[in-house]
Amino acid sequence: MTTVEVSHVSKRFGQVQAVRDVSFAVAPGEIFGLLGPNGAGKTTTIRMMMDIFKPDAGTIRLFGGQMDEAARQRIGYLPEDRGLYKDLKLEPTLIYLATLKGMDEAEARQRLTGWLQRLDLYDHRAKKVQELSKGMQQKAQIITTLLHDPDLIVIDEPFSGLDPVNTRLVKDILEEQRQAGKSIIMSTHQMYQVEALCQRIVLINRGETVLYGQVAEIKRNFAGNAIILEGQGDFGDIPGALETRHENGAWHVALAIGADPQAVLRHLAARPEARVERFELAEPSLDDIFVQIVRDDTRGVSSRHEGDTPGEEAAGHA
Amino acid sequence: MRNLWLVARYEFRRMVLRRGYLLGTLAVPLGLALLVGLVAAVAISQENNLPVGYVDPTGLLDPAKQATLPDPEDRVEIRAYPDEASARADLEAERIQAFFVLPPDYPANLATDLYFLEDPPRNAVWREFDDFVRANLIAGLPADVQTRLLEGSEVVVEDLVSGRTFSSNEIINFVMPFFAAILFMIATMSAAGYLLRVVADEKENRTMEIMITSLSPTQLIAGKALGLLAAALGQLAFYILAAVAIIGLAAPRVPILQALTVPWDYLGIAALFFFPTYALVAAVMIAIGGVVTEFQQGQQIAGLLNLVFLLPILLIGSLFQNPGNPIMIFLTLFPPTSFMSIMLRWGLGTVPTWQIIAGWLLLAATAIFMIWAAARIFRAGMLRYGQPLNVRGALEALRS
Repeated sequence: MTTVEVSHVSKRFGQVQAVRDVSFAVAPGEIFGLLGPNGAGKTTTIRMMMDIFKPDAGTIRLFGGQMDEAARQRIGYLPEDRGLYKDLKLEPTLIYLATLKGMDEAEARQRLTGWLQRLDLYDHRAKKVQELSKGMQQKAQIITTLLHDPDLIVIDEPFSGLDPVNTRLVKDILEEQRQAGKSIIMSTHQMYQVEALCQRIVLINRGETVLYGQVAEIKRNFAGNAIILEGQGDFGDIPGALETRHENGAWHVALAIGADPQAVLRHLAARPEARVERFELAEPSLDDIFVQIVRDDTRGVSSRHEGDTPGEEAAGHA
Repeated sequence: MRNLWLVARYEFRRMVLRRGYLLGTLAVPLGLALLVGLVAAVAISQENNLPVGYVDPTGLLDPAKQATLPDPEDRVEIRAYPDEASARADLEAERIQAFFVLPPDYPANLATDLYFLEDPPRNAVWREFDDFVRANLIAGLPADVQTRLLEGSEVVVEDLVSGRTFSSNEIINFVMPFFAAILFMIATMSAAGYLLRVVADEKENRTMEIMITSLSPTQLIAGKALGLLAAALGQLAFYILAAVAIIGLAAPRVPILQALTVPWDYLGIAALFFFPTYALVAAVMIAIGGVVTEFQQGQQIAGLLNLVFLLPILLIGSLFQNPGNPIMIFLTLFPPTSFMSIMLRWGLGTVPTWQIIAGWLLLAATAIFMIWAAARIFRAGMLRYGQPLNVRGALEALRS
């Protein structure tokens, strides 16, 4: 069963069509990237999921049903516009917010101790929020999102304001949550974090889905079917290769459309005279794909691949 | 419901632990205690229980009449002297506080001379000597006439519809409703004003989105309003208890307080109007909190609106001229001013039943409408960080 199922939702604010026919689904044990440039409609989509806005069209199902009190308590949400009560102390604030998510006060207090210690905030628990650094406040908000052990975690820019050490810590926490079977929807502009964490993504631009599917598959679709090889032996004669050239100690092999890089790898492995030290799919980064898609879409250049539809989990352009 | 109570409890605790609230809660009873204490201190300082003498060469006054006056044990002793010299000797020896001399022509012109050292006797001593003289002058009249003349006149006005009575001897019962009305209004306005702060705070602190994904906007607002209402009621209850205790302690020393009676009908009307008035003011503050981006902006708008709620105080001159004048009737029926108008008019007379009923119905209907409107405006404006909701946006929210 999917945790979240967004199906053909649209939302208009006055003359502005904020979201148009967006669909995606998120399963348990998955980190899902909700991507898009500023003003693309990501926040509106999240707010519709959170039942803050009602969609004009389409349906949203959470945990197999509509949003209700029980569903609310199973969600941890770190919104884009976020903060904590600045003039209050950290610990009681976090406990209060946890009790609103259905937790018993004693249990919240007990569980909070572990989180504060893990995120190095324990010694600051009696301080007012306004006395904490930006990074500390960010970590406190991550605790607010996770303290009640939600099944669905929706986080917007979770690494904002964090140093590399804390970024790694939060990444580890998110990965742990994924392994524990939680569904995580992450919205961020840090594409390398998406590549590192997300299994699947949806890219929204100007309110519409322009890319949806597995990260690896999307990258492969944008790779132009090229591989980079390093090793010993002659790599000039590879089945399915359109072009092979040797540059800077590496072989760059352009494959024919439909050629499978895995078949090439198997072929090379079977050749006794060849010793493969590096075999890499020459894929563009997600960042490059993002820029290319958004730029093309904004210019009105349609680069849609026939047969790829967002509702069918196709990887590639929508 | 659980979350509503959690928010209410949280806001109540947050409110009652604020320094301003604690100071406000303690300041009013302390001020009242100080005032009553001063009055009591003045009364005690003026207290002089030394006898009062008199010299009566006319033989008109019979010392035995003193025992026939009401409550003789509470009166100063009135001592007869055969001549001025002996009376003066006792005055100088401070065995008496003053002495009266009735001249020979006293029966004709009813004038007396009074002798004292530094301070004249207090008014009560004058009255007691007057009573003594009066009792002697009317000694030959029938007993019932004597009693009537000794008690003096007391004009009591009774309203035939409500049965309420007004007596010139119970001035305290006129004054107290004014103080009570102002206290009620302060409690209402301060609680509602704080509601504006906490709503604006949610936006300023950017906690709104987290809150409304934990509970519904209605639960959030209702919880805050209930928590602050409880704090306001707690403050009022403390005021009332403190007032009862202070008055109870001071009454034996301050005669004016002895005439004070518990105005149950007044308190009933106050309770009846308090809740819809609080709901109305709270809804207005929530709507303002939903519209503005910062608390200070909201405070400026609320300050102007507060003037409307306080119109009866500003027009108190017309109230004293005629509590039932057309302006006061209008203010009684005008929902934002109903509560204050009725409370103030109560002290000076009766408010016709139809005006109370019509005023309450209009107030309740307006409060319900404002709660509905405020919820819509709040929803429309709650996530507009740094961007106020304009009038057009608010109207669209009401129409949607």
